[in-house]
Amino acid sequence: MSDPTTVMTNEERVVYMQQKRKQTQIRDTMLAIAGVLSFLLIWEAVVMSGWVDSKKLCSVLEVFRLFIVKFTDINPDGAVLLVNVWSSLLIALSGFGLAIVIGIPLGWLMGWYRGFDAFMRPIFEIIRPIPPVSWIPLSIVWMGIGLKAKSFIVFFAAFVPCLINSYTGIRQTKEVLKNVGKTFGASNFTIFWKVGIPSSLTMAFAGIKVAIGNAWATLVAAEMLAASSGLGYMILMGRSYGRVDLVILGIVVIGALGVLISLLITRAETYLMRWKKV
Amino acid sequence: MSGKHAIQLSQAEIREQRLNLLYKILPILSVLLLIGLWLYASRGYNPKVGSGFPTPAAVWDRTVRLFTAPVKKRSLIMHALVSLRRIGIALAFDWTFGIVFGIIIGWYAKPRAFFSPMFDAFRAVPPLAWIPLITLWFGIGEFPKILIVIFGSLASIVVNVKAGLSTVDRMYLDVGTVFNASPMQTLIKIAIPSSLDAIFAGVRTSTSAAWMVVLAAEMLGADAGVGFLISRGMDSIDMPLVLTGMIAIGIVGAILAILTQLVERLICPWTRKSK
Repeated sequence: MSDPTTVMTNEERVVYMQQKRKQTQIRDTMLAIAGVLSFLLIWEAVVMSGWVDSKKLCSVLEVFRLFIVKFTDINPDGAVLLVNVWSSLLIALSGFGLAIVIGIPLGWLMGWYRGFDAFMRPIFEIIRPIPPVSWIPLSIVWMGIGLKAKSFIVFFAAFVPCLINSYTGIRQTKEVLKNVGKTFGASNFTIFWKVGIPSSLTMAFAGIKVAIGNAWATLVAAEMLAASSGLGYMILMGRSYGRVDLVILGIVVIGALGVLISLLITRAETYLMRWKKV
Repeated sequence: MSGKHAIQLSQAEIREQRLNLLYKILPILSVLLLIGLWLYASRGYNPKVGSGFPTPAAVWDRTVRLFTAPVKKRSLIMHALVSLRRIGIALAFDWTFGIVFGIIIGWYAKPRAFFSPMFDAFRAVPPLAWIPLITLWFGIGEFPKILIVIFGSLASIVVNVKAGLSTVDRMYLDVGTVFNASPMQTLIKIAIPSSLDAIFAGVRTSTSAAWMVVLAAEMLGADAGVGFLISRGMDSIDMPLVLTGMIAIGIVGAILAILTQLVERLICPWTRKSK
């Protein structure tokens, strides 16, 4: 065969493979850059050729300019960018934090204690299929259009994956580990606390990651239906004033913040799970 | 079991039996509690003004009235069908385009490197954030709504297909190499079948995502569909209608989830986990 590795010594082979891997890496990075660049170029070309109405699409540079301007300019939605970001973050994180604090322990308890599971499961199964967005009208009636109503909706969106994952995680605790605990005379609660919970953490973190995505997605809906500030509101205002640059800027900022938050959670996970060998 | 023979049960067995009885009673208790809570929450309900939380009876009446006096000439079933048609078209596109695209970027390294950054950026944006941009581009007809649903549910299927294809067990591929499979055969006969369960996980999540997105899209501006019922109820302070809409959405969502699970069992029965 034409594979050059067959005629090499071991050292040569190692160097050869390393080089090859490096080449692939460089090629992939170049391709990634090419992909993004060609996307942006096509975007610019479409704008410049006047194919689409300038009210429907604006150039990339314009969005970037608005991004800078928006730090100090409150027009047209009545708040600078950072204020909008802050009010969105406040809602997302309060609802999300509540979902973690309530959902995950609840999942643990339901997964460990059969009686509690039998009691809670029907309630959960009835509430679960109703999408969080459809709670918006009710929560407005109950709590007005303030922070409370919106974080309630976000809470709903984030609560379900938190609960399901910590539940499945603790259910998958290895029988061997539980039996070791029993052999050493640990009480059921001690086993729950020292064996069940740590072994469910990987799943719980996966749930938290899904939850933050859900929370962030639902937030936009909540802000579009009832808000006076925030990123979702900013996009909606951009739509009403026909400012396409504002809409695109809002979408980009929301996406970027979402990525940033999930990166932070991954960091927290690797830090908290550092005791676990891969 | 123990009825025929009067066997002396041990202490532990008696305890076990009592516990089992308790586990059967507890779910009933919790449902009763939920109904009780609803009744308690709705005690201040005034049907004339429409203030407060509606009683179960009011919601039931409203549901029945939705059939005799339809909103916008459509009964509840028709509204649900309108929403289902929207997600049906969107999902048909998702499942064809999404699976093909997922296979391409999951299997071939170069397209993956090329498209991944863009796709990740697209995925990072919550589906509902596209709504203003799409309505700006395409108005508020039927097509933009379907497009929103596609935007909202495409990512979940592509991600799953991509994950399935890029984590095919090395050994299966080696077996293919040993038997001298062509690259195309390796893809079609080994990689795709072995990632069928991941593909189906994508089908399931995309279905539920689509159902959620269509609802939100309809709440933000439509004249038919279950989401429209909710926003109509909210606008005309008709809380029973809102609850009817929510319950209908919950039921349809649950049915969709069960259906996709059944299809999954039919097509790839080996994914059913033995407990």
